[in-house]
Amino acid sequence: MHTPTPGLPEFDYVKLTSLAAASQFLAEHAGEARPFMGGTDVFVRMRDGFWKEKYIVDVKGLDGMDEITFDPATGLTIGASVNMNRVIASPEVNQHYPVLAEAAHTVASYQLRTRATIVGNVCNASPAGDTIGACLVLNGTLRVHGVDGVREEPLSTFFVGPGQTVLKPGDIATAVSFPLPPEGYAARYIKLGRNAIGDLAIVGVAALGYPDSSAPSGYRFRLALASVAPVPLVPTQAEAILAEKPITEATIAEAARAAMDACTPIDDVRGSARYRKLMVRNLTRKAVTEVWERIKG
Amino acid sequence: MTYRTIGKSYPRIDAIGKVTGTTLYPGDRNYDDELWMKILFARRPHARVLRIDTGQAEALPGVVAVLTAKDVPVNEYGLQIPDQPVLCGPGSGKEGADVVRFVGDQVALVIAESEKIAAQARDLIRVEYEDLPVLADPRQAMAPDAYQLHPHAPDNVAAHHRVVKGDVDSIWGQCDVIIEGEYRTPFQEHAYLQPEAGTAYLDEENRITVHVAGQWTWEDQQQIAHALNLPPERIRVIYDAIGGAFGGREDMSVQIVLALAVMRLAERGVRRPVKIIWSREESIIGHCKRHPMTIKSKWGATRDGVLIAAEVEVVSDAGAYMYTSNKVLGNTTITCTGPYEFPNVRVNAYAVYTNNLPGGAFRGFGAPQGHFAAEMQMNKLAEALGMSPVEIRLKNVLDDEKTLSVGTPLPGGVSLKQVVEEAARAGGWEMAGGAEKNSPHPCSPAPPPPRFRGRGFAAGFKNVGFSFGYQENSWAKVALEGDAEIQQATLYIAGADVGQGHHTAMLQIAAETLTLPTDKIKLVVSDTAVTQSSGSASASRLTFLAGNAVKGAAERALARWQDEERPAVAEYTYLAPKTTPFAEVDGEPSTPNFAYGYVAQSVEVEVDTETGTIHVTRVVSADDVGKAINPRQVVGQIEGSVVQAQGYAVLENFQVKDGYVLTPHLSTYLIPGVLDIPDRVDSIIVEHPDPRGPYGVRGVGEMPFLPLTPALIAAVHDATGVWFDDFPLTPERVLRGLSKI
Repeated sequence: MHTPTPGLPEFDYVKLTSLAAASQFLAEHAGEARPFMGGTDVFVRMRDGFWKEKYIVDVKGLDGMDEITFDPATGLTIGASVNMNRVIASPEVNQHYPVLAEAAHTVASYQLRTRATIVGNVCNASPAGDTIGACLVLNGTLRVHGVDGVREEPLSTFFVGPGQTVLKPGDIATAVSFPLPPEGYAARYIKLGRNAIGDLAIVGVAALGYPDSSAPSGYRFRLALASVAPVPLVPTQAEAILAEKPITEATIAEAARAAMDACTPIDDVRGSARYRKLMVRNLTRKAVTEVWERIKG
Repeated sequence: MTYRTIGKSYPRIDAIGKVTGTTLYPGDRNYDDELWMKILFARRPHARVLRIDTGQAEALPGVVAVLTAKDVPVNEYGLQIPDQPVLCGPGSGKEGADVVRFVGDQVALVIAESEKIAAQARDLIRVEYEDLPVLADPRQAMAPDAYQLHPHAPDNVAAHHRVVKGDVDSIWGQCDVIIEGEYRTPFQEHAYLQPEAGTAYLDEENRITVHVAGQWTWEDQQQIAHALNLPPERIRVIYDAIGGAFGGREDMSVQIVLALAVMRLAERGVRRPVKIIWSREESIIGHCKRHPMTIKSKWGATRDGVLIAAEVEVVSDAGAYMYTSNKVLGNTTITCTGPYEFPNVRVNAYAVYTNNLPGGAFRGFGAPQGHFAAEMQMNKLAEALGMSPVEIRLKNVLDDEKTLSVGTPLPGGVSLKQVVEEAARAGGWEMAGGAEKNSPHPCSPAPPPPRFRGRGFAAGFKNVGFSFGYQENSWAKVALEGDAEIQQATLYIAGADVGQGHHTAMLQIAAETLTLPTDKIKLVVSDTAVTQSSGSASASRLTFLAGNAVKGAAERALARWQDEERPAVAEYTYLAPKTTPFAEVDGEPSTPNFAYGYVAQSVEVEVDTETGTIHVTRVVSADDVGKAINPRQVVGQIEGSVVQAQGYAVLENFQVKDGYVLTPHLSTYLIPGVLDIPDRVDSIIVEHPDPRGPYGVRGVGEMPFLPLTPALIAAVHDATGVWFDDFPLTPERVLRGLSKI
């Protein structure tokens, strides 16, 4: 059993003046340095002794990371240090990407959301991360500053395992950006926790749907599931069913079953694997049905 | 009767300090020369400590002392029997003290210049254990070949109560309907806001002085003195503000070890304050829990719904040590047949040692478990007979003449009929008629599927005071100063204000009795140097017992004032009416308690049959408190009980495997948040005075907890058609019950 220690272990707090310097530092101290944003995961894990970094590199506020920008031609960019409450309050988010606000709103408490960030939630790469599903169905891309400069990492290939991503030492995620959403789309994030606010997801389902004449069904759906696999899971088979067969109650039920079959959840104190699978089916059916009601002609 | 002060919702005297943050809790007390303590917990459920190597820990710079079992003068303690070592390990001379029996047993103390150093040193202590068989279940522990955890408890049975009335065995043939059930209740964690903490030092009179948050200063002093082998007057216990207790602070946590550290440091010439604050994880593994119980019930009745016979077997998981398991079991023994008259009863109840966390006091003290079984049986009986759950209760509830299972009537005036009627009326129930009349009260439109709505009902009763033969008592002192008129009154009391508002209530009783405004009365509280024993803040007893003491002391001081004594000072110890333990001989009557409070509740829920989640839309709670000294505080107790009981019934899922705790954080063990609590709680204060309570007072701290779980589960049954005989009703358990998983 883990032995709690009071407060944080000793570490050096590092704040550098440029992204280049921060990347350089992180790369030079691979394995003993870690970037942090709001610290809502970093400090808890350090207090509990799971992470033992010697250096904590504060990357907040570097080079425009504190901005939300919306461009009607290209889409939305949320800087890495924008906290979740700002995302929830953003008019552009609420007008064009309301599912991001809906998902952020399910994270922990108001107090915690004044520190927590979307990019931090993504980089923490917990399978239970509540905003990750919304980012995935919105086709989000992470902007990453590494020792070799800036690159884009699509979220669809970003997650490797629980807490593991494609990021390398020296990489700093500076923003997450989203293309303009499809015409006539609707999306939902449904979270099931043990209590009404504050708990981690037993299961979370993000669903986005839109009319698409290239699909046999006339519609396309994107789905993402939380807390049911080692990584945030996209049930591609379920998405394919909804693209191919005329959307009916039976098709939605079939897709929901396919989503359930795609999951490989675990038993933990929040719920059993069996319960999680059933909830994926029920909540996928519910989320897709609600989206469908809003997008059908 | 009109009163000047009581019956009015005076603002809490502790409110401003708590809201503005100036109030000191035990962990808030800072000294320039303070030292910090950390405890090495065993963190294994059952093992013999072969060796403890403290060398590395003691060598760490900043470490002042490391203490182990060999440093404890009398290495034992316990509220009921001293069956627990202060520190587990070899060398104390106490037989069996080298064995750890649950994960929260304490093995060593580190005292250091800072908390961080103390924690580092604690992790440097090397302990060699020999693991012993783990008894994770009471049934397993009762088996004849099971490992014996304590020499005084054959078959690991810590306590056994038996109550017999009439002749159960020959009566079943006369019953038109028989209901049988096996009910299981879970652990519950107190989850008080303030984890255990304290500071200790030598005061100006060289007394070992411990600032702590507990429930009974005098008892803490006795327990510390015993373990340290010192006369009690060498120990001083002072309560700072207490951040909730709910029974969980009745047993020792940091009291003895803090005093031990101060004593041993002084012997080494170190006279510095020692401080400790437990983390939430330490709190959760370090203190007792509500007892899990299995209760098998068989009840028989006539087709008219008149109860004839009850046979009940209770098996309670006492965990590693006695704590108050025997007393808790006494309450389950009495309440497992509900607030009803049976001509024929047999109850056998066992508390069994295991290697789980000790079961201890927790709001309701055995009565929530007893009521769960009893009220489930009653609701199933009503269903089987096609009767209203209200009507069948009105037909069977105890009154001033009917006798309880122990063969005697309930003393002090029985208002069960009244509370049942009040709760039923407000909850929209028909008093009579068939089950078809009990469709949910149409107070709001029915939700769309897959959500379904239901309503349930239950009643309850609870003794005020420990009793069962213990002579209940409470002390208070009043001093009046002035010349022609009283300028200043001082009230000395030791009842713990654990957050329930006790000090405010006592101030109101003193003001009423002295006919003084409350601002003329100064309070001196909970310091064994100047106060004696007011008894524990538990068993719904404090307003009744300490209220009588305050009233008696005030009346006596006033009489002396009228005799021109200046200052006029009077001490008074109220002695409650005598009680008796359960009878040794089958069928002999006993009088285990001198006072009771009564309650009935109606609960409405919505159940989502796709996710299994339950939302409580409304609770009506009618509580006979005798006399509400401060109605707002009474409502606070009712609402607080309801919310805590809802957590017990639905959400709080304390998980243990092979003696290890799987939920040692508030992120893994959830308690209700503001969006989880009922949409609405209607508190109905009933005032049927107890002639022996001060101004008619009974008690309220526990009663509203008791019917909530069975009433809620009856509501879920009403919504889904399924009975749940165990809880908490996690979504998963609900779906399993609905055969959807």
